[in-house]
Amino acid sequence: MTTTIEPKQKTVLDPVTFEVLKNSFTTSVDLMSEQILRTCHSFVIYARDFSCALVDAKGNTVMQGSQDVAVHVGTLHFGAQAILKRFEGDIHPGDIFGVNDPYSGGTHFNDVRIVRPIFSEDELIAFAMSMGHWSDVGGTVPGSFDVNAKEHFGEGFRMVPVKLWDRGVFRQDVAELIVANTRAAEANLGDMHAQAEATGVCERDIHRLVDKYGKDTIVTAFEEVQDYVERLTRKRISELPDGEWETSDYIDFDPAFGEGLIPVNVRMTITGDQIHYDLSKSAPAVSSFLNSGFGASFSGVVAGTKTFFPDIPLNSGFYRAITCDLGPEGTVVNAGWPIAVTGFCSGPYEKIMSAIFELWSGIMPERAIACSFNLEYLLIGGRDARTENKPYFMWYDWMVGGWGGRNGKDGANCTSPLFGVGLAVQPFEGQERLTPVITSKHEIVTDSGGPGRYRGGCGVEKGGMLTNSERSVMSYCCDRSRNVAWGIAGGLPSTPHGVWMNKGLPAEKYLGAVFSNVPIQNGDTFTRPSAGGGGYGDPLLRPAAEVLEDVIDAYVSITRAAIDYGVVVTEIDADLDEYEVDEEATKSMRASIAAKRTSWLSEDAQEIAERYRSGELSDLDLIRQYGVIVDWGTGELFPKTTGQFRELLRKRSVEYWKAPA
Amino acid sequence: MGSLRVAVDTGGTFTDVFVLDDETGESRVGKVPSTPDDPGRAVLEAAKAVGVDLKDVVLFSHGTTVATNALITRNFPPAAMVTTKGFRDVIEIRDGTKNDLWDAYKDVAGPYIKRRDRYDVTERIDFEGNELEALDENEARVLAGRLRKKGVKTVAVCFANSYANGAHEKRMKEILTEELPGVRISTSSEVLPEIFEHDRFNTTVANAVLAPLVGDYVAKLSTNLELGGYKGDLLLLHSGGGSMTPRMVQKYAARIAASGIAAGAIACRHLATAAGFPNAIGLDMGGTSTDITLVYGGEVRITKEWSVEYGYPICFPSIEVMTIGAGGGSLAWIDPAGSLRNGPQSAGATPGPACYGTGGVNPTNTDANVVLNRLGTSLVGGAMTLSPDLARSAIEQGVAQPFNMSVEDAALAVVKVANANMADAVRLVSIRRGYDPREFVLVAFGGAGALHGAALARELSIPTVLVPPNPGVTSALGCLLVDIRHDLSVMYQKSLGAADPAEMEGLYQTMEAEASAHLKLEGVAPDQVLLERTAAMRYLGQWRSLTVAVGAGSEALGEAVARFHREHAREFSYSREDAPIEIYQLGLRAIGLTPKPKLAKQDPVAAELPVPKSVREVWFEAEGIGSAVPIATPVYERAELLPGMGARGPAVIDQLDATTVVPPHTSWKIDANWNILIQIEEVSA
Repeated sequence: MTTTIEPKQKTVLDPVTFEVLKNSFTTSVDLMSEQILRTCHSFVIYARDFSCALVDAKGNTVMQGSQDVAVHVGTLHFGAQAILKRFEGDIHPGDIFGVNDPYSGGTHFNDVRIVRPIFSEDELIAFAMSMGHWSDVGGTVPGSFDVNAKEHFGEGFRMVPVKLWDRGVFRQDVAELIVANTRAAEANLGDMHAQAEATGVCERDIHRLVDKYGKDTIVTAFEEVQDYVERLTRKRISELPDGEWETSDYIDFDPAFGEGLIPVNVRMTITGDQIHYDLSKSAPAVSSFLNSGFGASFSGVVAGTKTFFPDIPLNSGFYRAITCDLGPEGTVVNAGWPIAVTGFCSGPYEKIMSAIFELWSGIMPERAIACSFNLEYLLIGGRDARTENKPYFMWYDWMVGGWGGRNGKDGANCTSPLFGVGLAVQPFEGQERLTPVITSKHEIVTDSGGPGRYRGGCGVEKGGMLTNSERSVMSYCCDRSRNVAWGIAGGLPSTPHGVWMNKGLPAEKYLGAVFSNVPIQNGDTFTRPSAGGGGYGDPLLRPAAEVLEDVIDAYVSITRAAIDYGVVVTEIDADLDEYEVDEEATKSMRASIAAKRTSWLSEDAQEIAERYRSGELSDLDLIRQYGVIVDWGTGELFPKTTGQFRELLRKRSVEYWKAPA
Repeated sequence: MGSLRVAVDTGGTFTDVFVLDDETGESRVGKVPSTPDDPGRAVLEAAKAVGVDLKDVVLFSHGTTVATNALITRNFPPAAMVTTKGFRDVIEIRDGTKNDLWDAYKDVAGPYIKRRDRYDVTERIDFEGNELEALDENEARVLAGRLRKKGVKTVAVCFANSYANGAHEKRMKEILTEELPGVRISTSSEVLPEIFEHDRFNTTVANAVLAPLVGDYVAKLSTNLELGGYKGDLLLLHSGGGSMTPRMVQKYAARIAASGIAAGAIACRHLATAAGFPNAIGLDMGGTSTDITLVYGGEVRITKEWSVEYGYPICFPSIEVMTIGAGGGSLAWIDPAGSLRNGPQSAGATPGPACYGTGGVNPTNTDANVVLNRLGTSLVGGAMTLSPDLARSAIEQGVAQPFNMSVEDAALAVVKVANANMADAVRLVSIRRGYDPREFVLVAFGGAGALHGAALARELSIPTVLVPPNPGVTSALGCLLVDIRHDLSVMYQKSLGAADPAEMEGLYQTMEAEASAHLKLEGVAPDQVLLERTAAMRYLGQWRSLTVAVGAGSEALGEAVARFHREHAREFSYSREDAPIEIYQLGLRAIGLTPKPKLAKQDPVAAELPVPKSVREVWFEAEGIGSAVPIATPVYERAELLPGMGARGPAVIDQLDATTVVPPHTSWKIDANWNILIQIEEVSA
């Protein structure tokens, strides 16, 4: 991942040929995406958890798909490199390879890459790659998301580079060996074909270009498109000041220790036209599956950075301007074999991205953004008893949530996760046909956006009931139940993640943000919110008129308009959406909050937790006013976590509050 | 009894009219400025401008952007949505995605109805259509009272699983109708009885917010036409490429959301088919954008994934149109890494291209065409004069100097990059779908299509370019050509083995009865009705389906399955004959044929070309070296060219509403339908 290649200052190709080929490569890759969307079997791929790339003969990315999910960027070329290494001298026209290995630069076992070498006459000139999330790849739990897995053996099958087609002949035995280790053999076989055919579309398009422009021009263009992106990136970096910045974001806890936030540490250095990231001070690997292999961590670094350069195309030219030191194996960001890594996407990946967002928010305040909600997956699997043969079912659900408040703009409501804003949520009407789960609610959560001068976006709540099944279990892959999505520049945190079973009923139980294999019976209900985004800027500075508008749409309640913003709203006629701001009361409320709020963060945490248990304070009071973190079910205080959380609030929020007038 | 057919197409800047006299076969065209404050005024003015007396009109058809503009500007009357308890935010949650994946400061626009105007009631139907919870009628009436108090003018009723059972929606509608007389009610089970809540709800919401505006618009226009003496039904072009009467528009307002865009595609299909080309790619290039459509086997491509704005699908079958930001006014620019780019930013009407002399200084495609002498300096019959000096200086400073090129080479580079972008877009709608451009004709129209068409065809290996007689008003012609058409569908999710032909037959017949009733109300004679059955199918486990035609009789299903395998192979280059198949949805296309106009036709005769009005030095790319060279090129007036005339390129052909550039290494002729056909000759690359 290090490089000292000097970018060429000019292209060899004339400007027209260069621009035409650059756009053509994008088209060649997008052709694959279009096809895979229309032919895939996995509903996860259909929801756009896939990506495609054109990689050169050395294993460098020439072009990544323009609609790819963020979580795959910066990883596809590792797959081609793994194949080049394993099959050196044994790669032929008509071969197609498969690989899903997180320990050689992959992401998690579900993400299967199908790779087709492209030849011009007898010369290998490129690889077409299609990467897609298969809905199940074996392991202990349906969907292959076992939170408690410590090693890869519990997570799913590991596909090191393997030939699926040998000189045009499909290796049925190999394919069957692979899919026989999964709960979705037919669908996976269908996707193996669909992905392989998609890479064929790219191959034909590259052959067309070779026929038209000649092989040498195309191979030169592969290089120059990377040089172009590198040049563009370096130019932009060189316009920024040199310097060093550091921050940490946190995974909620390591089950081995019970409580205490686990740091993902990011140090960034800009020197001239190069960015260097150092993640080596991050925590040792945790004893759940919220760890990340080197490929996925590099992806977090790339995707986090790319968000601040949205117009630069993605290929290895971009990666050349960014170096990254992940430190030795055995950490949350560089888990080597056989440490469990499937939950990387909810764990270190989002923490790396969010930490990088925070750093860049300081360097480019015009693109600043607070913390967003955490990627979450809820899985219920068992036997569907609505039909006689009781087939396996999988209700595998993820939600949108709120994004962080921005400089001059509220955060976006109801948006797909950092993981990839192209990832679509599933319609519940489709889920109700396919599984014995009835959805009872899919709705925006009032007060979920972190308060700020610019409010964080709102999260949503989705819940349901299991109707007619046998031997069903529920698993959840999330985070930020304790390290609640934070505000910046004086903004406040949003809301905690976590699943409730039978909420409001005698059998109510809080299950937290990571668990697996919890039995669930017919008639049981469950629900969980997605968090809002953190706020940007001091909420006491949000104009009362804007708070009033939020109250009218019930994005913010009257109660919390007063507590979080110090804005006192009175109802005139709710039927007509008529409310008004009590200006006098607002003035004195704001003055009172400004005078006291810093001291609230020093109040005795045990007493605050007790007031939560007694019902006097709400979870949002604890998080936003007192900085106290408890088990949201039992109310048990997490003293160490609370200490850490309060420190972070002081750094990101209190620092920016002006002294009371 | 009159004999005139009048078609009026309302665009953003101009309202175009195309008049055809059925008796004489003569046509007239005209353009008047659009009147956005009251679009119907320009429609009447356009007819008047070409001397039409409405008493002489037998058929008046109309394509309009009224609905599209209302959706873009969110200019709606007070509207509300009523949905199942717990699902008030389905339309705001969408599917969660954004179209800009990386720019965290670019957001998806807000939904058509704000949260404060979305209400829920207690009721629930399950996926099989069984009632889980009855509609709480007390709640419903209390809610109706609140909507009345708020002064709501239109309501969308969207209940969970109503595609399987619309009874609760129907009852809710009855209650609202009782409590809120005069308010328009759209229910999702009537508007789009299809699975997937966001698609169905949003389509219904779009229908509801448009209903008053569009309903009033067509009613007023109908009245005015009637007052003028027109006795027939006003026909409105809908997004699916058919037309509908004002009566149906009242119920399905959202169906005309893409009315204005569909017209060009219809015209493209007609022109190509009439000239003997079953396969055509339409290139409708205007000032700021280009609409690309594809016709295959005489049919336009229809999509159900259409929206005016990202995130808010309107799932009626709509003609698939790809719009890209490449037009005459698109800017050429150099990015920070030194690459020459083109569009999507445009100089627009103000400041306009540099050569307009209205303040623009940055180089545009129009400026490049002026520098290359392809575009004359006098446009619209002398109404507009272009400045070659300003064009030259813009190209020189913006492109030639930074790249150290001659001004002509720079202009050529600008045009080539613009063409390459359009070629990529064409590839996406053709090659991407498994269509080979070599089997197509390129129909080039709009203000700028004929300037770029021939070069684009060469880039794409398309052998022939067709430039219609009136490139600038081709969309209005499209309005003249459409049949009345309704698309109906019903969910039928079963594996092939479980499909019951008798049950399917029953569902088809129900749809056929409903469609026939619609067409009868619209005055279509039974012998002018065409009913076409379709089925959407997929390999079991796939998420998207392909729609294929279904015949009648006992073999129909088997034949449809064979067709499905073939279509899958053509579209995706593979099929899996041994894989199980699932049926997803049954559909019906109901067409009420309207009498087709006979466009002017004249047998070609060998005739001498007229004397060119001038000969000028036009710059073309020299073969093999990529730089521009001047070639003496004759300039013809199109009005003087008759069927049968033609020559080898180069040539420039001028007319009031467009300029056609015929490059070297081509030949051109005027065909029997008065089209210019440009034949691209093979050249070594």
